[in-house]
Amino acid sequence: MAAKGLDKCFFSLRLLRNLQLRNERLVSTSACRLVDDKFIPPSKPVIIDKTQSVASLRKFLSPEFVPPRQRTNPLKFSIERKDMIRRRKVLNIPEFYVGSILAVSMADPHASGKANRFVGICIQRGGKGLGATFVLRNIINNQGVEICYELYSPRIQSVEVLKLEKRLDDNLMYLRDALPEYSTVDPDMKPVPFSPTGEVPVNNIKVRMRPKPWSKRWERPKFNIQGIRFDLCLTPEKMEHAQKWAEPWREYDMLKEYDTSKLEEHLLDEFQQEMSK
Amino acid sequence: MRLTLRALISHGRVARKMGLGPESRINMLRNILTGLVRHERIETTTARADEVRFYAEKLVDYAKRGDTDEKAMKMASFWLTEKDLVPKLFNVLAPRFETHSKGYTRMARLPNRENLDRAKMAVLEYKGNPFPPLYPVKKDNELTLINQLLRGYREDRAQQLATKA
Repeated sequence: MAAKGLDKCFFSLRLLRNLQLRNERLVSTSACRLVDDKFIPPSKPVIIDKTQSVASLRKFLSPEFVPPRQRTNPLKFSIERKDMIRRRKVLNIPEFYVGSILAVSMADPHASGKANRFVGICIQRGGKGLGATFVLRNIINNQGVEICYELYSPRIQSVEVLKLEKRLDDNLMYLRDALPEYSTVDPDMKPVPFSPTGEVPVNNIKVRMRPKPWSKRWERPKFNIQGIRFDLCLTPEKMEHAQKWAEPWREYDMLKEYDTSKLEEHLLDEFQQEMSK
Repeated sequence: MRLTLRALISHGRVARKMGLGPESRINMLRNILTGLVRHERIETTTARADEVRFYAEKLVDYAKRGDTDEKAMKMASFWLTEKDLVPKLFNVLAPRFETHSKGYTRMARLPNRENLDRAKMAVLEYKGNPFPPLYPVKKDNELTLINQLLRGYREDRAQQLATKA
């Protein structure tokens, strides 16, 4: 009895709703006949997908494109550059710096799913041309692991930047002698959104070190490290003793200078032209 | 049979070893460069002249950037130990080589030193110096017949152009 009543209610409601809609439609069409008969669609919702990495609009030339100062024929470097661009058209290698957190998935015949994924901080970018490498460091199960990947190796299936940032140094090898908390990266980290335009954020963190001995004497001026808290681990006398190895004439030695600014501009133009083809 | 030991190959190193070490080498080159800027023509051993040549040209490139450039002033004050030569570098040498893009120096060999070491000597100079040239220019003999006829022809042409204008 109650159900029948409800049904009747719903039916009547539906009738009323239909009548309302029909009336509206009649009203709307009669009003709009005075305006154009074209159908004006509603504005599309703009979806900003922050998880996917957008192509960077910054002018960035990867350091392995800049050829070193050598006696080899420049033809070798131009052929290598062509091959590098061919590989980049297939695999998207994003812009990253030393200190950013990357996730690399590489083909491995012995792993389940034929690919293995490694997440870590980039501590070093070495090599020029097709042999360019980058080293990722992470601490897994209290064991420090560093893997050196070749950027242009065909085994690499994807390179994602989880967090784009720069550090105070170009080479973070001192993380081996730093406390483990500075090298741990969560393997399931979500990608942090970063803007494709504007400056790359610089992380001014100063790292605490384990007690000496270290793998290298990082306090010596030849390494020129800005990112270690020396005041916690070394006395001022030791810092002065380390300055004995400073070579103040080096910055005035014109033989050691290698000015790459014009070369970089030229290479950047070439790179952008080739990639847009 | 290996004619060279692996340790004797320099593998692309361009800087010679001089003196007691890298600091001593730079100090020696600084002194020679200061002398070159002061006198504009000096004679030293060939190896030292060759090393200084590169630094001399780079110093002129820095001087061309101008007095106001900070880096240029730092370089000049480092390399010239006698500070009264710094204005000479910026006001005399830099304008002299404004039209040249490279090649501000000239090096020529000299007879070996008279000492016991018989060292290979060379003279290094900045181009445009006030001294007589290192390689004397050979002048043609004005009194030969052909040269006299050519001189007459040149004078006639000059007269004609003067009357036309």
